[in-house]
Amino acid sequence: MDFDFSDDQEQLRDAVRKWVDKGYSFERRRTAVKAGGFDRDAFQEMADLGLCGLYIPEAHDGMGMGPVEGMVVMEELGRGIVLEPLVQSLIAGGVLSGYAPDAVKLAWLPRVASGAALVVLAYQERAARYRLDVCEAKATPAPVGYALTATKSIVPTGDLADAFIVPAMVDGQLALFLVERTASGVSTRGYGTQDGSRAAELTLHNAPATLITLDGLTALEHAVDIGIAATCAEAVGVMDKTLAITADYLNTRKQFGVVISSFQALRHRAADMKMQLELARSMSYYAALKLNAPAPERRAAMARAKYQLGNSMRFVGQQAVQLHGGIGVTDEYIVSHYFKKLTQLEMTFGDSLHHLSEVASRMQDTAGVFA
Amino acid sequence: MDLAFTPEEQQFREDIRAWVSENLPPDISHKVHNALRLSRDDMQRWAKILGKKGWLGHGWPKEFGGPGWNSVQKHLFEEECALAGAPRVVPFGPVMVAPVIMAFGNAEQQQRFLPGIASGDVWWSQGYSEPGAGSDLASVKTRAERQGNKYVVNGQKTWTTLGQYGEWIFCLVRTSTEGKPQTGISFLLIDMSSPGVTVRPIVLLDGEAEVNEVFFDNVEVPVENLIGEENKGWTYAKHLLSHERTNIADVNRAKRELERLKRIAKAEGVYSDTRFRDEIAKLEVDVVALEMMVLRVLAAEKSGKQSLDIAGLLKIRGSEIQQRYSELMMLAAGPYALPLMQEAMEAGWQGEAVGAAYCAPLASTYFNMRKTTIYGGSNEVQRNIVSQVVLG
Repeated sequence: MDFDFSDDQEQLRDAVRKWVDKGYSFERRRTAVKAGGFDRDAFQEMADLGLCGLYIPEAHDGMGMGPVEGMVVMEELGRGIVLEPLVQSLIAGGVLSGYAPDAVKLAWLPRVASGAALVVLAYQERAARYRLDVCEAKATPAPVGYALTATKSIVPTGDLADAFIVPAMVDGQLALFLVERTASGVSTRGYGTQDGSRAAELTLHNAPATLITLDGLTALEHAVDIGIAATCAEAVGVMDKTLAITADYLNTRKQFGVVISSFQALRHRAADMKMQLELARSMSYYAALKLNAPAPERRAAMARAKYQLGNSMRFVGQQAVQLHGGIGVTDEYIVSHYFKKLTQLEMTFGDSLHHLSEVASRMQDTAGVFA
Repeated sequence: MDLAFTPEEQQFREDIRAWVSENLPPDISHKVHNALRLSRDDMQRWAKILGKKGWLGHGWPKEFGGPGWNSVQKHLFEEECALAGAPRVVPFGPVMVAPVIMAFGNAEQQQRFLPGIASGDVWWSQGYSEPGAGSDLASVKTRAERQGNKYVVNGQKTWTTLGQYGEWIFCLVRTSTEGKPQTGISFLLIDMSSPGVTVRPIVLLDGEAEVNEVFFDNVEVPVENLIGEENKGWTYAKHLLSHERTNIADVNRAKRELERLKRIAKAEGVYSDTRFRDEIAKLEVDVVALEMMVLRVLAAEKSGKQSLDIAGLLKIRGSEIQQRYSELMMLAAGPYALPLMQEAMEAGWQGEAVGAAYCAPLASTYFNMRKTTIYGGSNEVQRNIVSQVVLG
């Protein structure tokens, strides 16, 4: 029972923190937002640090690292509210390594690791909301591979990604496929999202698709759980920085002849934000440490974590804006951007209400970390 | 980073579990599991069983007879006791005054007082709060006037938990009115059988007299009962309060009570009600998150590698969770929590329950738990302290 980070993990954290602090300024981010919400150069810089290959085995040119390293990296990226979605590289790396046939792994993993291929999960359907077992997309066998017809929504960097991991039904069973953006029958409609990043609607019409696995629901749940753990860690980084920004403001801003951090109501709010941050951090650790557990245990753990994180994110984001007074709701000042990022993270991979439902349905007679 | 306990720690847990199973009297655990009234004899019986094993002072340093457990082992011990239905150890002797006597008392005091505390033979009370000194503890007014080789004590303490059973009381007394209030406080050990000591019970809203007022009317206390130096008592008291840490989160008991809540909810037919089930699910996540926070603090203490600034959060969250599970159990019983039948809260009552037997103590427990956010440093004061971590 040990919560210390190893020297290697600390070094990894330092490397990412350095890149964010020196190479990913708020101004650079703002420029990228204006240009559409995704900067391929920044993404490549992350790849050059080895981050895209974090969950890819060394045999396939990756770093061969695990959930704790993923957590550390995502926390640091969260602190800088980095637009480029490393979480998708973690998902792609994890899913392809864990479920794809050798030929697919060989063809794709090294390119995901190097940053040459941005592969993203495209699973959202209108009727499904946050459910993973509702899928209208259909795949039929083709002379080579499959032909996929689907409409998938809010696909991160969808109009710029190189390939998509797509769930679709085959003979009434959910399966997982790989589709290249340049393939025939693929069209995308890109747009910016609330947190400044980029997404797209993806339409596939008999698009050529490579099978990843017929055990699609298992793989999709695993993919989303990788995403949830990464998102929890990212949110911790965002909240950590948000609280620091807020504390700074409270200690600087003067009204009525004193710094406003001398007012107890605001001090107590800051204490409540700290509480939420530490509860969130604790559950982010929990998620990372349960990511390699057997699927039922892992699923239950991710639901618990995302439920806590969602509530924490909402509180910290809302209160950070509140404690800044008027400037908190401006676009010019930084804190609203942190708040919008937290808002988007809450609605990614299931919001807290959805996960409350998951927790409730999976409840056992015992409870706790060690029941 | 690893969530699992080491094989040695797992073995330790199993050993403790086996010992508790053999040595915890079933009539006592029955009362604890069902929130029935515990007598003085019940509490002292368990204290003496622990004392005989050398585990009543399980946090004591080895040189004073402690078993030398690290923070994780202490946590596992407390967890196994809580899960098995052992009563809370009355902390005033073994957890509160003993560390002060060990750190600041002289050899004679250590020899005189520590054995009786370690064995569970002597019942100690805490004399801190006064009617005018709650959150503002430093403003204590109970006066100790030095007269030759004794102190003469006059004043009043309040909220003295189980003071009706107390044989000795450790008190913060005022020995000087010069300078800041903190600098005029001494730490004095007083024999409660001394002439002039009167204990008066305070009935709480649950109908029980768990706390007391203690009046001191010209009580003579030998000067040998002063711990350390005169006017240094506040420093000694702060040392004591810093010992409470992860215990105060009470997460072990929270897990046990969460299971009980589920049993009651099932029996009442509300476990399958979506809204009620959601409330239990929320509480479950709260308990998991609290346990993770506790484990982080314990692991940091064990490895000594990082210092964590989050211990203050444990009391706030722990007390809120205690209140919530007591509330949900009462709500589960619904109208059947309303009958007030004091006799039904005694073990062995043979009368006819209204609703079910488990309904009887639920409202009383809920009412009693309102104290948890108030005592041990109110949650508002705790937030003041946490805010210093955030804001400086």
